[in-house]
Amino acid sequence: MSSALGNLPSSADYAALLPAFIVAIVPLLILFVDLFYRESGKWRRVVATGIAVVWLIVAAVLQGMQYPHDYAAFGGAFVQGGFSIVFSEIVIVATIATLMLSIGVGRDDQVAGTTALLLWSASGAMLMAGASNLMIVFLGLELLSLGLYCLCAMSKRPTARESALKYLILSSMASAFLLYGSALLFGATGSVGFAALAAATVTPLLALGAGLFIVGLAFKLSLVPFHAWTPDVYEGAPLPITAFMSVATKAGTLAVLARFAYAALPSDRAAAILAPLWVLAALSMVIGNLGALAQTDMKRLLAYSGIAQVGYIVTAFAGTTALGLRYAILYLAGYMFMNLGAFAVVALMARDGDAVVGLPRFAGLAYRRPWLAVAMTFFLIGLAGLPPTIGFTGKILILAASVGAGYAWLAGVLILGTAISAYVYFKIVRVMFAQVDAAHVRDERSPSALPWVAVAVCAAATLVLGLVPFTPSNVLPLVK
Amino acid sequence: MTVTALVLGPILAGFLLYAVPRDRARVATVLAALVAALTFVLAIADAHAADASLRWLSRPFAASFHLGLGPISYWLVLLLSLATFGGALALSGPRARNVAAQLLILQGAMNGVFLAKDVLLFALFWDLMLIPVFLVLIEAGPHARSAWKYLIYNLAGGLALLLATAAFGVVAGTTDLIGNPNAHVVIGATWGGWIFAGFALAFLIKTPVFPFHTWMPDTYADLPSSAVAVVSAVQSKAGLYGFLAIALPFLGEQMLQARTLMFVLGTIALVYGALAALAERDAKRVVAYSSLSHLGLILIAIFSGSPLALQGAVVYIVAHGLFSAALFLTLGAVEQREETRDLTRLGGLGVRNPKLAGALMLGALAALGLPGLAGFSGEILILTGIFENGFVWPAIVTLIAIVLASAYMLRLFQGIMNGPELPDLPERRDMTWIEGLAIAPLVAGFVLLGLNPAPVITSHATITAAENTRVVGSR
Repeated sequence: MSSALGNLPSSADYAALLPAFIVAIVPLLILFVDLFYRESGKWRRVVATGIAVVWLIVAAVLQGMQYPHDYAAFGGAFVQGGFSIVFSEIVIVATIATLMLSIGVGRDDQVAGTTALLLWSASGAMLMAGASNLMIVFLGLELLSLGLYCLCAMSKRPTARESALKYLILSSMASAFLLYGSALLFGATGSVGFAALAAATVTPLLALGAGLFIVGLAFKLSLVPFHAWTPDVYEGAPLPITAFMSVATKAGTLAVLARFAYAALPSDRAAAILAPLWVLAALSMVIGNLGALAQTDMKRLLAYSGIAQVGYIVTAFAGTTALGLRYAILYLAGYMFMNLGAFAVVALMARDGDAVVGLPRFAGLAYRRPWLAVAMTFFLIGLAGLPPTIGFTGKILILAASVGAGYAWLAGVLILGTAISAYVYFKIVRVMFAQVDAAHVRDERSPSALPWVAVAVCAAATLVLGLVPFTPSNVLPLVK
Repeated sequence: MTVTALVLGPILAGFLLYAVPRDRARVATVLAALVAALTFVLAIADAHAADASLRWLSRPFAASFHLGLGPISYWLVLLLSLATFGGALALSGPRARNVAAQLLILQGAMNGVFLAKDVLLFALFWDLMLIPVFLVLIEAGPHARSAWKYLIYNLAGGLALLLATAAFGVVAGTTDLIGNPNAHVVIGATWGGWIFAGFALAFLIKTPVFPFHTWMPDTYADLPSSAVAVVSAVQSKAGLYGFLAIALPFLGEQMLQARTLMFVLGTIALVYGALAALAERDAKRVVAYSSLSHLGLILIAIFSGSPLALQGAVVYIVAHGLFSAALFLTLGAVEQREETRDLTRLGGLGVRNPKLAGALMLGALAALGLPGLAGFSGEILILTGIFENGFVWPAIVTLIAIVLASAYMLRLFQGIMNGPELPDLPERRDMTWIEGLAIAPLVAGFVLLGLNPAPVITSHATITAAENTRVVGSR
């Protein structure tokens, strides 16, 4: 039956795309339902968010059911299976957490629009997770970015415009790199599929194309020296969007990077082509943490810390070992929970969920709101790589993987970066616990208790993942 | 079960202590002391407790949550519970509840370090024990600077340990090795040096040994006396325990290569610590520098490769823990009364405070190595062992440093207790019964251990450790 139809997509192809498709189509439903509300009100917000969360959970469950059956849809352009599903689930969890943090941000009559944009961005990241073809990569990346350009500008603060414009221009530049690299890769091999790239002989044209492609991804991942936009964009964007960017964008881009590194390069020359990537990772771990030292705004600080954390994850790819990929995914999941947890704590400290939260606002938090301080300390300890968190276990696994793969120098740089980062994270711990006269500190509270749910879930996940570092073992075969 | 309770019990109790209202500090400190006393009873009652083990990682190397009482760790656990008991009871002031809670968490984490039978688990607890001390330093310490110094030094060591552990695991295939007599792990020459360097850096910083000691006087001066009693008595032993439990069995070859360097560092610490203690005016810093000196001696003993010196090292580790905790608690009581630790401003307290003077005298005598008290048993074993193995010069330097110990300990005692009564010191009451109760077990410990050090010497672990030194060999 299907052979008679030749290259036409079958129903199985559409089934593979279904979860991403749901996330892309539900925004239309949300916008349609929103049309029936005449005036602004709390329910308008609840309904839009509720529809989004319910359908995201549906997509996550559908996705999970597809886990064991890997399937290359649309002639191998989109691969659905273990690898892409893990990354997509990370994107979905991050999106749900973002929606939780968004309660209380922005105007009620805008919520349907922002939720729709957020879901479109998420579907772009999910496309990237399964992309096995240069064109799908670009499609996913643009879908992800277009929504974010608008979302960055949603805040009332003047810096939001700056943030959005900066993001638009620099992200377009990254896209240009990526696109030019793709064009060269196509020119060198005559194909846009990753499988064909892996089978090609290495020519200077292919190496140049691969290099430009990686630079484009490094821009999106904000690896040093392509990181300069990140702190400004994070600072200007509304808090939930910053949280989303720090996890979902990185998850989608890391999926593409992993698939490109593991499955799209000729295995005999991959090490040489990827060598500059490890240098970028090393630079990110050191300079990202050094940059974070001087920050007092929480969003800027977490932006720099994110630069370094992505460096840790890319370190796990060093030597493109199977174990390294598993630990990268594990650490990414851990990073998501620790980072989202920290963002949720920040959200709980702002009345409108979107204020600029600087370090002084944390002064004496341990005496005003002890539970919040304990939770924040736990997330920061995790980000610093101390036990008993996934930050500790994940780091030791990455260290072991990179030492085992012969990249002991990179493991050494990781240790150096971690040493610097300790000052960054413990600076906040110190401010929270030190004895101060906190009378002048504004003690704002979030209007919603929903971020508390995010804090609790993230804290539990950070602890449990650290004690039971579960890594899906059959991920690697499904990359290719 | 017992071993799990020894680790998790104090940690959970520490968190529960935060439920006590902040102004009922006395309730919190008594509860904390009770928990510490319970751990002591538990360890004594179930001295042959079975190991508890749970699989953690299977790749890239095998690792388990494996806890078990080893013979050296048995004594350290007892020492730690005594120090925590005394420290918690002696607490007072506005932050007493929080410090008591952190002390219990610290006790649990350090029990984890000593009971861990897996190198990775050891590293986990090693890093964990940083956090309570840092929190006490920023909550109750006068200067943020010393908290940073403590954190940066010790975290650097912790990260070196982490990297070394990862490499050790990859090379050995498993980290579930501590105290396993059947473990035959050979770390090749390619990796051995680096792995040993990582472990050694962590252990030297934690002990501390010259030139990594500069965090120590500041930390000891700024921590509340109760916390410093625990940190100086037990946390400083974690590094030495690491050398005995990890480096000696698995990295013997590298220890042999590093012997000269360690001898040099140890003797510098020994002499420099003693001289600094002679010159220092702050009473707590005097004892801090004396620790630097004493711990240098233990380092020399561990690297001497002499079974006798090793037995002495274990005795001295326990002895030093007991008398340094007693000394710091006594000094804490003095500081609380006189609101200064400056030896030039103190004096003549002995007349009105005979009990306090007695406690300080006993601690000082144990520290200077008076025969009959525990310090002497350790020192004589170490000296004989070093000398027997042919290391004449280290033995002579050690002897000189021990003579200096009498000088600075007596100077400390005289500076506080003897001399004319200073008129501007307010008259306060002598040692209270609670303070006495806090110090008494420690004093009883070093008196008993001085009269009969046999239980520690003949304990199975010490012998195993000594057997293992055959790898190191004599000169």
